[in-house]
Amino acid sequence: MNTATSAAAVLPEVKRLASGQELEQLRQALIDRTDLNAPRILVCCGTGCKAVGSLDLLETMRNAVAASGAAIKVVPEVKRTGCHGFCSRGPLLTLQPEGLFYQRVKPEDAEEIVKQTVIGGELVKRLLYKPQGAKEAIPKVGDIPFFAKQTKLVLKRVGRIDPFDINDALVHGAYKALNKVLTEMTPDQVIEEIKSSKLRGRGGAGFPTGLKWESCARQPGRHYVICNGDEGDPGAFMDASVMEGDPHAVLEGMAIAAYSMGSDRGLLYVRMEYPLAVQTLTRAIRQAEELGLIGDNILGTGFKFKVSVSTGAGAFVCGESSALMSSLEGKVGRPRPKYIRSTEKGFRDSPSNLNNVETYANVPEIILRGGAWYTGYGTERSAGTKVFSLTGNVHNVGLVEVPMGTSLREIVYGIGGGIPNKKELKAVQTGGPSGGCIPIPKKFLDINVGFGKLAEIGSMMGSGGMIVMDENICMVEVSRYFINFLVEESCGQCTPCREGLTRMKDILTRLTLGEGRAGDVELLEEIGNFTNSFSLCGLGTSAANPVLSTIKYFREEYDAHILDKKCPAGVCKPLYYYEIDPEKCTGCGLCRLKCPAKAIAGEKKQPHTIDQELCIKCMECYKNCKFDSIKIM
Amino acid sequence: MKIILDGKEVTAEAGRTILEVARENGVDIPTLCHVPALEPAAMCRLCTVELIENRRSRMVTACNYPLRGDAEVRTDTPFLRQGRKLIVELLHSRCPDSMVLKELAVRYGAELGRFPDDNKDCIMCGLCARVCERVGGNVLALCGRGVEIRVDTSFGRTARHCLGCGACARICPVNKIQIRDEGNERTVIIYGKEASRIPLRPCTSCGTPFGPVIDLSLIMERAGEAQVPAFNLSICPACSRRNHARRLAERHFEQYEIEPHEAGEDD
Repeated sequence: MNTATSAAAVLPEVKRLASGQELEQLRQALIDRTDLNAPRILVCCGTGCKAVGSLDLLETMRNAVAASGAAIKVVPEVKRTGCHGFCSRGPLLTLQPEGLFYQRVKPEDAEEIVKQTVIGGELVKRLLYKPQGAKEAIPKVGDIPFFAKQTKLVLKRVGRIDPFDINDALVHGAYKALNKVLTEMTPDQVIEEIKSSKLRGRGGAGFPTGLKWESCARQPGRHYVICNGDEGDPGAFMDASVMEGDPHAVLEGMAIAAYSMGSDRGLLYVRMEYPLAVQTLTRAIRQAEELGLIGDNILGTGFKFKVSVSTGAGAFVCGESSALMSSLEGKVGRPRPKYIRSTEKGFRDSPSNLNNVETYANVPEIILRGGAWYTGYGTERSAGTKVFSLTGNVHNVGLVEVPMGTSLREIVYGIGGGIPNKKELKAVQTGGPSGGCIPIPKKFLDINVGFGKLAEIGSMMGSGGMIVMDENICMVEVSRYFINFLVEESCGQCTPCREGLTRMKDILTRLTLGEGRAGDVELLEEIGNFTNSFSLCGLGTSAANPVLSTIKYFREEYDAHILDKKCPAGVCKPLYYYEIDPEKCTGCGLCRLKCPAKAIAGEKKQPHTIDQELCIKCMECYKNCKFDSIKIM
Repeated sequence: MKIILDGKEVTAEAGRTILEVARENGVDIPTLCHVPALEPAAMCRLCTVELIENRRSRMVTACNYPLRGDAEVRTDTPFLRQGRKLIVELLHSRCPDSMVLKELAVRYGAELGRFPDDNKDCIMCGLCARVCERVGGNVLALCGRGVEIRVDTSFGRTARHCLGCGACARICPVNKIQIRDEGNERTVIIYGKEASRIPLRPCTSCGTPFGPVIDLSLIMERAGEAQVPAFNLSICPACSRRNHARRLAERHFEQYEIEPHEAGEDD
């Protein structure tokens, strides 16, 4: 980690900023110093790219640039940034100001990029992005559909700035909104502005943020501003990328919230499994404190706000508000059995405002541009944009920010690039383990994604996980997976969640093993409806959604498991076998070569056969056959 | 505040729980994890009722829902009966020999064989842990998470600060906590495992080991000395009764010149 391009060398020594004017002067000095047309190489160091070696790439890139320094007039700045979003193509590299986009870059490519592109001005063709099925590669970020079709409000600075350097954030407008709030607005005006923006909580429930702030502000006593960074849904990483890529947006949003409700203390609850987010946030807090943007007497206005980061201990249920507060207090992270809002009695029995990371990150822009501007995005009831983490059987896996009300078709096909391997799209799972599976080919492809619409069809917005499933996904297995996850993550306090989910898991496991009995589906529905109404917290009351929604839309698949003892998708191993269609088999022998169990036999150019005794159902033959001759029976 | 309780209008003070109001008005809502002396934990969910406020209906637990304004409460709808039936069935599989659950099973028509027994010997009401926190030495807690949640001492070790008061065993609705007095030692047994061991002190009068050796100063402090009734801590209940009887005899029958027995030293 280093903030190699520190401003200190050029800028006059910066002490604590004593006024809003000083902040703007510093910003101007920083902007003047930055030549926006100077070449910059942005290396994505989000968690996804880090996992495939982007830190090595960053290092070799820096070395390569330094080594060739003599040959180029302007030495480009190599910058580590947060997530660029296109995670399936990592490690990613963007060359500014041209906006060239290189994907799947290896450290070995660094020298070539410097020589050929930075010095020579030529493209390195093999590193360019080529959409599936297209002949021509697309060199520029702006032309790639994955990026071009997105609307980035929350992720505006993510991937463009160095999250470890507050100066970079200041150049891109950080803390402008805080300055405006402190110098021009009253707390009530701030709340009114947020109310007029119709911003709704991005954590899943979609409660209007302005109303929450207002009701918290009205309570007497010391107020706490808490940020929920305990993003635990399987396959979701939106909040991670915001915290890792633009920590100052979150801090600024929290400071504005604190000002609006007269709070002087902020707490960030980040899950332990996000070490990078903890690092960026801790560093960001320290840098902001040094500049006097957080701490005592902020910008000389007398407003005081301290923030600290707490880490969770690996419990999914701690994303639930009351469990999160217990955990923050140092107690066991279990939801508390009290019918009182945390805006009245939350952390340490004081009024506490809890919002999600993405909600806070939305705030500064709303303050700067006004609530009316924000309502210009999205739909009537769901304003603004939403970040989704698009995963599963889709070409372009990554982070996607779109206006609310965008259709699933646009997200999956337009941005996501469709389903790989010519498979059929079967369902989209939204809302994490508490959400539901939306069947796609039937009717919902053109549904507009928003809070109301998703709830209407038995799923939910959730925090924004979106898992695309193709025809080879078994819905019974999907239910079993989610219920199993929730059984492990339930806090165990209340009977319906603890016992009900365990029983559902037992039944679903039985179904996937081919031991289903008549009446199992009805029993699942009975227990599911029961846990959804009798449980203690939000985890329990939505836990059965994956099962109920798959039963609702994929009942025939459950019936196939129970009555015919078949798994139509070919997932539950005891319930299917592969067979070679002799009509289609050309006897090329590829499957025979690929089969690790040596279960396939046959003469050249003659139809092959599978020995079911030997077959281990690894799917190798199915995946490799070029003639579509292997069938799931 | 006006509350419509199962169709009947009753009045209630603000802040009272649904359960309190219901019991005052003779409506029986079943509970397993609730005793009035302890803060409600809403864990068993058996007391779930339907609450209609501002024309919005939702399920809440009666034991801890404080009534704040006019509302309608339904305590015995078919949906609730169905849910309670399932709760009883699910808990029964954890604790198949419990009498309380058998009675509830009759009341709600539970089909007890629907889920296979897993004999966990505990319905996870958490009462023992809560009473231990308030009355005893605060040595029991709900440990683990999800399916593995259980009542245990810190790190599963034999507890060192147990008072041996036996409140946990007394409060357990399924009688699964055992207190065993053997020789001059008391053992508290949870899930068949020794949770704590407390030496018993011998009666200064007859020598039989009786109450646990405890640091009374702690209890005095907690109770506030004035509230603790005067009692003799060194003789067993049997001797105490005997002494009391003798005193009575001395007072009332002195005139008949009956020879009193030798007096205990703490008499």
